[in-house]
Amino acid sequence: MARAATTSDVFNAIAEPRRREILVLLRTGERPVTELSQELGMPQPGTSKHLRVLREVGLVRDRRAGKQRLYGLDARGLRAVHEWVGGFEQFWTESFDRLDAYVQELKQERQEE
Amino acid sequence: MTATGPGEPVTDRETVVSRTVAAPRELVFEAFTEVRHLSRWWGPEGSSTTTRAFEFRAGGEWVFTMHGPDGTDYPEWISWTEITPPAKLAMVHGEYRDDPNAFESVLTFEPDEAGTRIEMRTVFATKELRDEAVEKYHAIDGGQQTLSKLAGYVTETLQPTADG
Repeated sequence: MARAATTSDVFNAIAEPRRREILVLLRTGERPVTELSQELGMPQPGTSKHLRVLREVGLVRDRRAGKQRLYGLDARGLRAVHEWVGGFEQFWTESFDRLDAYVQELKQERQEE
Repeated sequence: MTATGPGEPVTDRETVVSRTVAAPRELVFEAFTEVRHLSRWWGPEGSSTTTRAFEFRAGGEWVFTMHGPDGTDYPEWISWTEITPPAKLAMVHGEYRDDPNAFESVLTFEPDEAGTRIEMRTVFATKELRDEAVEKYHAIDGGQQTLSKLAGYVTETLQPTADG
């Protein structure tokens, strides 16, 4: 299966460790790129590039605040990640849904016998 | 080990899934005991199973392929470690016999006023193994735990916006 471009796939976007670090840093609230660069210990152009990728997949949003631009977490992209990570529980929740329906069938059959 | 209430994971190495089914305990338990039953409900909606070997006894195995809803085939191997009808089932679940990443799940069946409460507790030997299992069930590689917590935090605390 061909991999989707990083710029359109939230999972490819977070495969890069520095981009995950940015997300963790943003947990505490919005930050300008200068602060993020300092925290990451990487040059601002590189940080900006990562932020652009994160914004394009819907993990980060930005807004103008006076002279600077503030970056914060965007729940839309993260929701998809959350659902994906919950795969194991999801598997069993869906299985138990089907089990419930099937047992109701069994119950019906036994009552008719 | 700290005391926890029912349905509460003890560590980040454990997952708990529970469900109440409106039927007697014997009947719910029965749905776990034969391939003709299991094949009707095992896996997410749209999946099916092809069984190669099945023996329902402690130490017995179920060897099968799960065909996922998207057409992906998953090799599966299950061995029952404890069978106590109709109250308890324990099984080791992996991809093949002696799979080093196999993990144990314990299912309990408790009667309650609505029918039968199923609780499935799965404890992984290490957090890494839990992560691998999660990954097998379509999670992502690397940083899942952090991201999962992050995502949970975000979806709980961020207000939905007009465009979200």
